[in-house]
Amino acid sequence: MDNTAKNLPDPRIIFALVFATSTFAVIIRSDTVAMAGLLLITIICGLVLGVNFIKLSKRLKRLLQVMVIITLLQSIFRASGPVILYIGNFPLLTAGGVAMGVLVAFRFLIFLAGAFMFTLYPVRSLIQGMVQIKMPYELAYMVSIGIRFIPQFAESMQDSLTALQLRGMVFEELKFKKRMSIYSYLLLPTLMSALKQARELANSMDMRAFRANPKRTTFYTLRFKARDWVLLFCVALATGAITFAIFRYNFFTMIFGF
Amino acid sequence: MRQGIGGMLQIRCENLHFRYSGKFAHSNFELNVGEFAPCGKCTAIMGNNGSGKTTLGKLVAGVLAPTSGFVYYDDVNIATLKLGEIGKQVGYLFQEPSRQIFAAKPLDEIALPLTLRGVDEGEAKEIAAKMLAKFDLSHIESSTTFNLSRGEKQRLAIAATMVMNPQFFVLDEPTTGLDKPRRHILADTLKAMMEEGMGIILISHDAQFVEDMGASVRHMEGGVMLDG
Repeated sequence: MDNTAKNLPDPRIIFALVFATSTFAVIIRSDTVAMAGLLLITIICGLVLGVNFIKLSKRLKRLLQVMVIITLLQSIFRASGPVILYIGNFPLLTAGGVAMGVLVAFRFLIFLAGAFMFTLYPVRSLIQGMVQIKMPYELAYMVSIGIRFIPQFAESMQDSLTALQLRGMVFEELKFKKRMSIYSYLLLPTLMSALKQARELANSMDMRAFRANPKRTTFYTLRFKARDWVLLFCVALATGAITFAIFRYNFFTMIFGF
Repeated sequence: MRQGIGGMLQIRCENLHFRYSGKFAHSNFELNVGEFAPCGKCTAIMGNNGSGKTTLGKLVAGVLAPTSGFVYYDDVNIATLKLGEIGKQVGYLFQEPSRQIFAAKPLDEIALPLTLRGVDEGEAKEIAAKMLAKFDLSHIESSTTFNLSRGEKQRLAIAATMVMNPQFFVLDEPTTGLDKPRRHILADTLKAMMEEGMGIILISHDAQFVEDMGASVRHMEGGVMLDG
């Protein structure tokens, strides 16, 4: 199969890398600088692999806009430390709140950068990778279908917005509140439609005897090359080093935020 | 008569090209839709699968942006218009109706865009109910849209677009999933709107429906209008 055609490492290396970065992103609770470092490492890994972050970010523009709003809300509601912006007598932004908002945004970006790395691989090689790390085939297949449903869901939402605009809605002229109410109005039917499609797909798979045989065999298998072993070693080493740094130096600060 | 920008709406295309991932869908394609699809007339575009009919429809309705070339509504380049502004003049029926149905209830599907355009909510629901009755859909007024049959979705999508009174209507395979009586209803409704001045571009494989509509037929192949 063609993960080698693009000169990419074995997908299992990416599983290990994304697992490590995502785990650290979850356990780091208060150290914004550490989170920034982790984000930088993830982005560098993505760039080396050939992820076009600019192109993908343009496609996810709306999601990134939502992320900016979440960051702002985090900054407002998790106030701590010196105040940096007042509205009247009300302290709107605090240094601690902003740091926390930025930390949450970085965490989200780490997850997103990890997901972007998976988009470089054909679905078949991702499934094979999961199967070869002993994940049940059914589960691996479900994950791959789930990945395919994400763009479909976004496309479905976009279609609804296009259909509304084609009936004379100029979104730019609508007030923010009205626009938000339309988005929320569209969300339920889009979700229901995605669920219906998922059910139809499941029925179709059953009709084609999916899981009828106890074990599926395949000609295609992934094999580690020397480069993959080196990369796996590097990922393991970096994971160990970061874990050591967390435990040795500021374990409690990073994990529990005090 | 329906009033377009400075009278009846004329759609004109110039050197329209569109590229699907490296392949030109319309190569050196030049088309003046206004000349062959004037207001009050129906022009059918026919051709094999993959010949570029749907792409042309989407380009004309502003759903796709051309790789190069221009689409004009009268003298206005639609690249300068927002999709919502285009939608006030041109209606577009998608090939797959479930892709354009966005509301949970059929009544809301028709009424919501009307209320967003300033029509009173009660009045909008009244208009929507009449439109549903016209397309024999009153019985599903309160059903959920994602449980409708293909034919019901198709009729709902047509009704929801028609209620906006477009000056031009691009219909992509409108008869798919419709039985014979419903096809007649659709043809009669479209003809009535054409008499009021609405222009139609009909993308279809249904030769009988094209004939019923009294459309002038144009053929496409490989992204090129054969008789253009």
